[in-house]
Amino acid sequence: MDNNKIIKISSITKKLLVALFASFLLIFLLFHMTANLFILAKDGGDAYSAFCHFMGTNVFVKVFEVVLFGCLILHLCLASYLWFQNRRNRPVGYHKPSRTKTGKGSKLMMITGSLLLVCLIFHFYDFYFVKLNFVKGTYMVKTEDFMVSDPSMEVSEEAQQTFMQLINEGKTSKDMQWIREISDEQRDVLQAAFPEAEFEPDFYHMARQKFSVWHIVLCYLLFFAVVGIHIRHGFQSAFQTFGLNHYKYSRLIEILGVVYTWVVILGFAIVPLGVFLGL
Amino acid sequence: MNFTLHIWRQENAQAQGRFETYKVSGISPECSFLEMLDILNEQLINDNIAHPVCFDNDCREGICGMCGLYINGRPHGNDDGITTCQLHMRKFNDGDEIWIEPWRAKAFPIVRDLVVDRSAFDKIIQAGGYISVTTGGVPDANATPVPKRLADMAMDAAECIGCGACVAACKNASAMLFVGAKVAHLAMLPQGQAEAHERVKKMVCRMDELGFGSCTNTYACEAECPKQIKRQNIARLNREWIKQLFAGNHKPE
Repeated sequence: MDNNKIIKISSITKKLLVALFASFLLIFLLFHMTANLFILAKDGGDAYSAFCHFMGTNVFVKVFEVVLFGCLILHLCLASYLWFQNRRNRPVGYHKPSRTKTGKGSKLMMITGSLLLVCLIFHFYDFYFVKLNFVKGTYMVKTEDFMVSDPSMEVSEEAQQTFMQLINEGKTSKDMQWIREISDEQRDVLQAAFPEAEFEPDFYHMARQKFSVWHIVLCYLLFFAVVGIHIRHGFQSAFQTFGLNHYKYSRLIEILGVVYTWVVILGFAIVPLGVFLGL
Repeated sequence: MNFTLHIWRQENAQAQGRFETYKVSGISPECSFLEMLDILNEQLINDNIAHPVCFDNDCREGICGMCGLYINGRPHGNDDGITTCQLHMRKFNDGDEIWIEPWRAKAFPIVRDLVVDRSAFDKIIQAGGYISVTTGGVPDANATPVPKRLADMAMDAAECIGCGACVAACKNASAMLFVGAKVAHLAMLPQGQAEAHERVKKMVCRMDELGFGSCTNTYACEAECPKQIKRQNIARLNREWIKQLFAGNHKPE
């Protein structure tokens, strides 16, 4: 055996890691889908915004976020590495295309995976990058951040006007705790006057704005279809890689995979569709 | 029956290969695929047309694993659970064009025409596909009790004849079904337990070194295996590998 390398990771271990990271992403997907459903709640976005505030500020969530991105990056790096390595193992291909009866999705994992990466970048551009301040979006802020404790503090005329405009337009939550749907310009004006105020991305209104445009809705529906094809194979594939194949339960895992795929993609699809159709 | 054959011809491992087209006529539908190639070769020799087509074969009854041709996009031709020698011309239509290619994999270099070198499989077996026993008196048949169910499952895995169709069918040229079958049949028997951890480690490492791909769970191997070895054996191999990762704390030799 070749003992020259200090760390040698076998192909099976690499696959185990790909499956392990993917399992984490699969669990996250279910979580993300469930959270999205709050966008459809008829409460003006109170529940979803409260959830977003928790997700944006909780320490454990922040750790989880790093772990999640780690999983995503390692999953796609390892899977691509294995793909390139596998390509090299048949230098001369067949003249006749394969007629072996196999599932289609399993052969398309690299293509669907690459498409997902592209979709994901656009999805980040739409939402996540706003949080990182890479792109501009819509914001929300706690009303209490505008309480002036120091009477000597001067608030500019412009900031006062902007503040009153937001209040008059009814952009507060029902309990008056939050001011939402603040545009990028309004935020800049308010931030200049109240440096302490902590603005957060208003994902609820961003989602509602985006999903009122038909071509964005269509793009997202296609995105979910690709997700579906990818996880339809990925779900049972992960079980197989973990060695969990049993004469009794394999059928159950197969069915569970189909159910999971449909629940996730329908759960995701209902949000842009629902917003677009005014549900 | 008449056929047009497109056969891969290649002088040796280094030479540039190409497809040559031959016509065969008057073939009986009861003729096996290899017999059809015999008839072609007889024509080629008698009419002094070309060097006969080289192809691997031995027992011609589906148990040796020597024959292996990639016929019209499927290893061992268009039928399930058979080797090339068990494929009969009645499976084709009169006047069909048949494309015959060798197994394609980095680990299986072409020797000549349709003959590939499958000694990579032997090297994997040599790495650990055995049990070490001191030779001596023949033990009693029932000295080591094995439950019938396990014996049957081990026998199903041990049916693998090492033909290489799994590698040929796999889009990654992966040998996981072969290694899975070889690891599984010993892992299910008491005789295989003592060296179980070492075995799976050595065989998988050897498999990687020899240039076989990794499994993407496409299950093309299972669909094309002439002995219908199940994908469960790949899962068993993965399981044995995980066990080895956490429990295989043997000192390296």
